[in-house]
Amino acid sequence: MTAEEDDGPMAEDRGRFPRSVFEEGEDPDPRFSLANERTFLAWIRTGLAFVAAGVAVEALQLPLTAWLRATISVLLVLAGIAATAQAWLAWVRTERAMRRLAPLPSSGLKLPIALLLGLVGLAVVVGLLL
Amino acid sequence: MTSPADPGLQAERTSLAWRRTALSVAVGSLVGLRILPPQLGPLGYAVSALGLVWSLDLALTARRRYRDGSRVLRARDAMDGRAVVAPTLARTAGAAAVVALAALAFVVVVAGT
Repeated sequence: MTAEEDDGPMAEDRGRFPRSVFEEGEDPDPRFSLANERTFLAWIRTGLAFVAAGVAVEALQLPLTAWLRATISVLLVLAGIAATAQAWLAWVRTERAMRRLAPLPSSGLKLPIALLLGLVGLAVVVGLLL
Repeated sequence: MTSPADPGLQAERTSLAWRRTALSVAVGSLVGLRILPPQLGPLGYAVSALGLVWSLDLALTARRRYRDGSRVLRARDAMDGRAVVAPTLARTAGAAAVVALAALAFVVVVAGT
């Protein structure tokens, strides 16, 4: 490999945003990057759905005890925030791992999201019984 | 380099994923147009209109990513399509985060009254 090649597109690559992803490694198969992009979008949509559900619970004034309704909608919106964070976090970590030929990262924020949704389910059950 | 053994409609699938996202944002904004103004007044219309602008941005990204995707897959070492996606993803995540934080404020305020 010549010095010219070293200063070519690869050097430009290293400066790409975000640095933490592109400073190391080689571009993986474009199909894998595209799949990572679609997973990002799936998390974004998931987050939007949680947020929309949380807003709807309050905006439509579902017939539940006031404090329970507030709890359910706040928990749903928090799950939406967590899912949005997960979208970006997982995209960065996965792209970085693929560039370095490292094992793909595991859960990220999936556990907190699952716990929030579990609490939402619990609150709905309590609401139905009250 | 030659084309990949199985392109697997990658560009199409990615473009459709953006389109799905654009559609969800558009539908959400239209529903917002129905349910937000009674609670928020003019602010409700403004928020919904911003949502529609965002969905337009996502729909345009869907078109652009189709072109990027097919180009990258045709010439596998041409990385120009990928070089530009991270800022778009950051913008998308940022917009979603703004929506989520605004929703949190809305929910807390409505619950408090």
